[in-house]
Amino acid sequence: MTEEAIIEFKDCSIFQTDNLILSNVSFTVNPGEFLYLIGKVGSGKTSLIKTINAQLPLKKGEARVAGYDLTMLKRKQIPYLRRKLGIVFQDFQLLTDRSVENNLSFVLRSTGWKDKKMITERIKNVLEKAGLGYKSFKMPHQLSGGEQQRVVIARALLNDPEIILADEPTGNLDPETSEGIIRTLMEISKAGRAVIMATHNYTLLKKFTARTLKCENGKIFEVDHGEEFDFTALME
Amino acid sequence: MGEKKPKTTRRKLRSSYISSVISISLVLFLLGILGLLILNAHKLSVYVKENISFSVIINDQVKEIEIKKLQKELDASNYIKSTEYISKETAARELQEDLGEDFIDFLGYNPLLASIDVYLYADFANPDSISLIEEDLLSYPMVKEVFYQESLIHLINENVRKIGVFLLAFSGLLFLIAITLINNTIRLSVYSKRFIIHTMQLVGATRAFIRWPFLAKSALHGILGGLCALILLTGLLSVIQKEFMEIISLRDADIVAILFTGIIVMGLILNWFSTYFAVNKYLRMEEDELYY
Repeated sequence: MTEEAIIEFKDCSIFQTDNLILSNVSFTVNPGEFLYLIGKVGSGKTSLIKTINAQLPLKKGEARVAGYDLTMLKRKQIPYLRRKLGIVFQDFQLLTDRSVENNLSFVLRSTGWKDKKMITERIKNVLEKAGLGYKSFKMPHQLSGGEQQRVVIARALLNDPEIILADEPTGNLDPETSEGIIRTLMEISKAGRAVIMATHNYTLLKKFTARTLKCENGKIFEVDHGEEFDFTALME
Repeated sequence: MGEKKPKTTRRKLRSSYISSVISISLVLFLLGILGLLILNAHKLSVYVKENISFSVIINDQVKEIEIKKLQKELDASNYIKSTEYISKETAARELQEDLGEDFIDFLGYNPLLASIDVYLYADFANPDSISLIEEDLLSYPMVKEVFYQESLIHLINENVRKIGVFLLAFSGLLFLIAITLINNTIRLSVYSKRFIIHTMQLVGATRAFIRWPFLAKSALHGILGGLCALILLTGLLSVIQKEFMEIISLRDADIVAILFTGIIVMGLILNWFSTYFAVNKYLRMEEDELYY
């Protein structure tokens, strides 16, 4: 496997329970790279992301994510793999029973941070990065969709992860907010973090071009940068 | 930073905690009553059995001093708890009170005989032991007869046995109900947080880290529930004590200590284990399963 790649899949099959979703999945992602994952609903984008963060077991093939071999991954290692990943969901998945600050401090405490001052400092830092410096005391339901998504991005950045996985992060947002989110993710990528973003938003894809993988008919392949996307077909 | 949750959220959380503690305390109160019954069941059966008496009827010509000597001899035996000497005169007076008329005046003499009422220790208050004791007593020349209601003694022993079996079965059932109710209360409370548990896993928290706040809170609720149950039980005990002071007593420190410690420990253990298994269930679940 390639030394510098932060994610490397080689001839993998992606299963959702016993159903084969994608086969012959081979790709690499390098640090600092921004990668779009496109395809129709049910084409396997989310399943691939879930395999990368060990929500789905890798049953066939070889894969390495942030130094962890997914085929050899033990249950106890999963939390430690996830600490190297920042995950951004379409439905946010915030801890609804606590404030923004407590959402973020939970992640830090659960990943071994103990110093209160350092925790507060780090939270302040990532919230500023995500453009939410003044909303830390709010409960998630008191924030707009865009703000909640920014909290999720801030949460993903807490442990300075090597990879950000974003599954349809703009799916529930208006075009303007979506653009803001993409810009933030692009900046994160420029700062040296690999970003994989599954999306349906082809307007943004056109505007913010980047390397693109497409899931179709149980296969995954790279879409040429020069190739004109068939947006109509993708939107079906 | 570090602001508290909004008032409505705090109120909802408080009300859910209170209802959880109330449910737990009511179940523990039931377990407390059960514990009280079990701990007092033996005492109760001893009390009933030791109130069974039989009469040793003494021949007419025997002098009182000899009867008293026999009474002392009986008192010294290892199966007799206490005795009571009923003289001819006392017997006549009691019968007159019962009948409401002076039968001595009517008959011209007192036909009643002196007797000794014998109260046995509980272990000997059964038909087999009593018939052996009867044989022994009849060997005394001064004893005319030994009188007891065999059927009543049999009935009491049979009923004590039946009550014991019933109590055991009832205890088992009540304990099962208690476990089910506490387990359900906790499972519902954890169920409402299943997505939060899942999110915690996704952000890299270990199972132990996710589990411990649930366990700490459930232990606290168990102890609080136990304390509420103790308050209810103390109230119940003081009411019962007024009615059955001889049987159940708050001054019986051993029983009260066992009972009160038992309730707190039971609350803690039941809550802790129910929470442990409920949280583990959702920790093991796949995301898709959380929706069913």
